[in-house]
Amino acid sequence: MALLKLENVTKRFGGLVAVDKVSLEIQPGEFIGIVGPNGSGKTTLFNVINGVYRPEEGKVIFDGKDITRMPAFKRTPLGLGRTFQIPRPFGSASVRENVAIGAMFGTLADKVTVDNALEIADRYINMVGLEAYRDKAAGTLTPVEKKLMEIARALAMRPKLLLMDEAMAGMNPKDIDGMVKFIKRIKEEEKIAIVSMVEHIMRAVAGLAERVVVMNQGAKLVDAKTEEALTDPRVVEVYLGHPADESKWRSDVWKEVRNKDE
Amino acid sequence: MIFQLLVGNLTHGLLLGGVYGVATMGLSLIFGVINVVNVGHGQFIMVGAFVALTMFTALGLSPVIAIPVALVLGMALGFFFFYTVMRRLIKAPELTSLLATFAMGILLEEIAKLIFGADFRGYNWAVGKITLPITTIPMSKVYAFVGSIVIALFLYFWFSKTRLGTAMRAVIEDNEGARVCGVNVGWIYALSFAIGIGLTVMSGVLLTMFIPVGINPYMGGRYTLKAFVIAVLGGLTSPYGAFFAGLIFGLIENGAYTLFAQIPGVAPFPLTVSLAFWMLFFLLLVKPTGLLGK
Amino acid sequence: MKKTLPKYYPLIPVFAAYLIMFLVGFSIPGMWQMVALLAFYCALGQSWNIFMGMTGYVDFGYVTFIALGTYGMSLGITYLSQYEWLGIGIIVIGFILALFLASLSALLEAFIALRLRGAYFAIACIGINEGLRYLIEGAKFWGGSEGLIFFGALVQALGRETVNQLTTFWADFSVFIIAALAAFLNMHYMRSKIGYALTAVREDEDAAKVMGINANKYKTIAFLTSGWLGAAVGAMAWGLKLGYVYPGDVFVIHYTVECIVVVLLGGAGTLLGPVIGGLIYGLSKYWLAVIMPGFQLLIFAPIIIIIIVVAPEGVVGLLKSKLKGTKLEMFIE
Repeated sequence: MALLKLENVTKRFGGLVAVDKVSLEIQPGEFIGIVGPNGSGKTTLFNVINGVYRPEEGKVIFDGKDITRMPAFKRTPLGLGRTFQIPRPFGSASVRENVAIGAMFGTLADKVTVDNALEIADRYINMVGLEAYRDKAAGTLTPVEKKLMEIARALAMRPKLLLMDEAMAGMNPKDIDGMVKFIKRIKEEEKIAIVSMVEHIMRAVAGLAERVVVMNQGAKLVDAKTEEALTDPRVVEVYLGHPADESKWRSDVWKEVRNKDE
Repeated sequence: MIFQLLVGNLTHGLLLGGVYGVATMGLSLIFGVINVVNVGHGQFIMVGAFVALTMFTALGLSPVIAIPVALVLGMALGFFFFYTVMRRLIKAPELTSLLATFAMGILLEEIAKLIFGADFRGYNWAVGKITLPITTIPMSKVYAFVGSIVIALFLYFWFSKTRLGTAMRAVIEDNEGARVCGVNVGWIYALSFAIGIGLTVMSGVLLTMFIPVGINPYMGGRYTLKAFVIAVLGGLTSPYGAFFAGLIFGLIENGAYTLFAQIPGVAPFPLTVSLAFWMLFFLLLVKPTGLLGK
Repeated sequence: MKKTLPKYYPLIPVFAAYLIMFLVGFSIPGMWQMVALLAFYCALGQSWNIFMGMTGYVDFGYVTFIALGTYGMSLGITYLSQYEWLGIGIIVIGFILALFLASLSALLEAFIALRLRGAYFAIACIGINEGLRYLIEGAKFWGGSEGLIFFGALVQALGRETVNQLTTFWADFSVFIIAALAAFLNMHYMRSKIGYALTAVREDEDAAKVMGINANKYKTIAFLTSGWLGAAVGAMAWGLKLGYVYPGDVFVIHYTVECIVVVLLGGAGTLLGPVIGGLIYGLSKYWLAVIMPGFQLLIFAPIIIIIIVVAPEGVVGLLKSKLKGTKLEMFIE
């Protein structure tokens, strides 16, 4: 059974159709990359999945439950974790408290005490390598540290599905490589499904995602195995505006993937 | 009979509403520009009332002359409080600016008490009456109303025709945008606060033309609360909205009073005051941008 | 368990302060009234702080809770003192009534707070307070503007001796208990999921919701707690102690401002702050009333302004930064 199932989801803002009849299935433990240029409706889709917005049409089914009209705070304990494009730490609270908040109100909400949550927090802080900043106010971290803290916070929720919004935007190549390795590790160790959303496909998604969903102008354009999706002429058109020299495109893509694997 | 009474009272209400309008414009201007609710607002109205009283009783000057004096004094007070206190609080949490303005109000009350004592005082500006078929109106109220219209029009021209006025409007609309466009936001803050206080003190003079007796250091508090109601009615950040809301409020207040007075077994005056606050409460819940707001 | 106890260490200086105050008042003749006044300010500051410190909302209409608490007790005694068999039970019922009225008002305020922020919330709460006051006066219920005077009825129901003890000792003593309870609840909330949830809501409400936090629930808990404590203070320190209530005496924004001054002097959002603030404010008010009666406010107003500008984090804020890194740190919150 699919972990997450979107059926013909449509979200409009006034006359603008931000998400246009998107259907999607995600299996437990799967890693999916959602790619698409700026304004293609990726963030809106995330917000529909975790309840910031309610769709006008369609259904969102998570773990067999229809959650289309459920408020955001009730969805999280079902197993939906999320990081934001621009990190949103609870600035005055320490890193440890931030991550503990994730543990306290995530899937374990009914089972953990504050002390348990703080212990869980320590584990994930170590995992993302922020031990040194444990008691620092989250607002004072650098942008990359904030992203790592958000991932720790989301993991501490013990989600079944982790939605990562532009986890690598604005990072330099070295940090991106570190992050890719790290996400691979999470996937293996935590055995959770991950939907990672990125604006630019190559480096970030190619070596990680098993499947890629390409969005354009709110609609799902391509939904295929990574290798096929990256070389699909329609995808090339979205990114380059015209069917470019396909062979060059393909070689560029794979050069990047190989670089990363080395 | 009751109809005639109602129309008569509404006429008085409209005239008073003009003064309410001017008395609230300053509150809205300050909230709009520097995002501070002046909780000591009414005490600045009280200062204006004492300006009128002193000039009339000590110097024998008409309250009409007190109007510009009050403006100048008010702006001076505004600049003083801005540069000593408010400037440091613009970026601070709301709590601090609310409390600072409240403390300013208390300070003004206590200084006024030190100078004038706590008794109710008044003055008698005898400028005759006009008799209409439905009611008789003292000319002083008419002058106050005309004065408030003139002030409102003046402010309108200031905002729409002058560079500084336009800059102020720009800051109300979009603080960052205005900064980027080269508006000296710091100076606009100071000037707006000063003009806001100036308007408020000026309205205190106009108010004394309505309440010939009733000037005392502690008169301000209830006008603060009335000004809140009116400001919210007018959209909270719009000085014009505040003026029209003042007119409406004057009408509602006097109309409601007239009707409540017909109900046996209730006290009409407090009930009218209460009505104003429940109005405020529901308005905030239903349409926080104000009845006349966007 | 080993971990749980140190979490409550910051309560030690707070409770110690209350105990010392109580002992001073109890053993030194003539000090009781002053100590009771100090406890009153500490209790109000502590109760208001739960609400403001945890949610970040500035409730300018907080006095509504105190006033409704006073009315609860007053109504209970006024209408039940004729039933002699109830005995001291009328005070219990009055107290419950106080909490009930405060709950209604707290739920109403929570309802606004879930919609309005900042200045709009402050103004709406002032609106409720004034609206209620003038409604009582205008519609003439609960005794209208003449208020309720029930001291005589209380004496008739319980006897002069009991009433004397109640008004001169137990009413004030209960304020100490309320103050300590407020401190404990504040600490407990800070260290439990409620505190973490409200920190998240205060910093970024939308992100908090995505983290699984039911913002409305936790805000309402804080409002109710704060309102109950305020009502309890009103019921005991005003209702029971004085034996009368007038709307014009109790629905006075000025008292809210006193709460705020107490909290701000000591340090907003801290546990020890309201105690220190209450002591400084109460003592200096008392002292100024003796040496220059009638001019307390003239001196207070500029002091408040100076504190806001110079030391917005209050005494405890300064203390905390001084003690950072030392062993005493864990006692200060």
